[in-house]
Amino acid sequence: MNNVIKITVYTISDQMRHKSFYILLGFSVLFIMMIRGCYDGGYSVNGETVDNATVAWHVSKIVFHLITIGMVLMVSMLSMKIFSRDHEDGSIVLFLSRSVFRWQYVLGRVTGTWVLCLVFMFILHLTIFLITWAKTGTIISGYLTASLVCSVNLLFVIACVCLLSLFMPDFISALFTMGILFVGFISDGGYQFVNSDVLRSTGLSPINPAPALWRVLYPKVFMVQTYADSIISKSEFHNMGPFPPLLNLSFFILFIMVLLLGSFNRKEI
Amino acid sequence: MITLDSVTKNFGAFTAVDNVSFTIQKGASFALLGPNGAGKTTIVRMLLDFIKPSSGSIIIDGWKASNPESRKDIGYVAEQHIIPPYLSGFAYLSRHASLIGLTGKEAAKEVDRVIEMVVMKGQERKKSSDYSKGMKQRIGLGAALLGQPKLLILDEPVTGLDPIGIRDVRKVLENLRDKGVTVILNSHLISEVEKTCETAAIMHKGKILVKDTIHAIVKDNETLEDVFFRYIEQNNE
Repeated sequence: MNNVIKITVYTISDQMRHKSFYILLGFSVLFIMMIRGCYDGGYSVNGETVDNATVAWHVSKIVFHLITIGMVLMVSMLSMKIFSRDHEDGSIVLFLSRSVFRWQYVLGRVTGTWVLCLVFMFILHLTIFLITWAKTGTIISGYLTASLVCSVNLLFVIACVCLLSLFMPDFISALFTMGILFVGFISDGGYQFVNSDVLRSTGLSPINPAPALWRVLYPKVFMVQTYADSIISKSEFHNMGPFPPLLNLSFFILFIMVLLLGSFNRKEI
Repeated sequence: MITLDSVTKNFGAFTAVDNVSFTIQKGASFALLGPNGAGKTTIVRMLLDFIKPSSGSIIIDGWKASNPESRKDIGYVAEQHIIPPYLSGFAYLSRHASLIGLTGKEAAKEVDRVIEMVVMKGQERKKSSDYSKGMKQRIGLGAALLGQPKLLILDEPVTGLDPIGIRDVRKVLENLRDKGVTVILNSHLISEVEKTCETAAIMHKGKILVKDTIHAIVKDNETLEDVFFRYIEQNNE
């Protein structure tokens, strides 16, 4: 078996042994238990009964984003310690004293963490999908596809945190990555708001419809999220610039991975 | 088998290894002796490509040390062998076995063989967080012995071991030496070196002061320890 696959499998098993994973698991179970109740009750607005399926659809969409945001936070926590923990507990020596290329080690660690989080997020989304189906009979098409689309965001966060953790303390690298996402949230969120149907329906037109170049080229984590939302809602997606957000983010992931592999290759063990 | 050619390693302004060149023949048992900070561990780490030389080249079995192929037949024991606390000795050794390409029954058989060799039978399923320093060192030695390595690099392998453990390690090394395995032993224990190695190099302040067979280094009415102190004191002046 290829070394990358071996290290990927070891990473999944190692990550599942850490406390942070069990905290994540505990929170998720608690969250699902709490959210289940939202699908049971009858709802009324201004005295009129609202269709249960409509409520379930909206709740599921909100929960979709909450799960994704939670996973982004969690994945940054899991990935910030990959290299420092391996250094402390001897895993890095275990792998690199053998006939393993450094790129194989890095790729195995990143892929393992990503696969674990991707599967975890997918299971959470699948649970919500099944609850909605069981309670209201509504099948939200696109829900699971949207989950897979959002998993690209997780890979971006892992790659970014891992790269930064080579140059700065673990927690700061996670915080820095959250900062990058926050800037994207403001920039892309603003763009989405300006182009939203709500604002258009008021008759107001955007003051500056052409965004600055840096905003077009900036990592489109929030845009990927919005794109996933449009898959669920089957609504129009307002892209910023000529590049689709998945292409933009794939480019950044590739670029960061090249930097990560290059930097790690020069790192002293 | 191993050639270091004009190898220098600088850490900022500090030169840890200063223009070192030597060759170790296949099947030799070679010791690196020197006080703390002499550069012995730096050489070991460069052999394993944990750190890169600032200049010079290292060739192992025809491969550059920077190429992982050079580590295909190497077993390594660190000064204080660290094992992930969540792994048992068995799981740790199984990972090593898998990384050297052993699978299934073959891997399990090989892991069992080395567990017996390092006298850890019955302890191998315990988590490594429950191991003593000496037990970790034994498991580390076991990992190095997996898959019949052609070259064994031991960086202070008896650190933390009791006299029985030290004797066990010595027996293992003697056995490997007889089988023609190349051994590089980095140790403070000069008496151990004298018992297990044929050739030695004395290092001080990053330089090799002498490298020869122990027979050639040690003159009449002297021990290796006397020679060691003589060289170090001469070079402290």
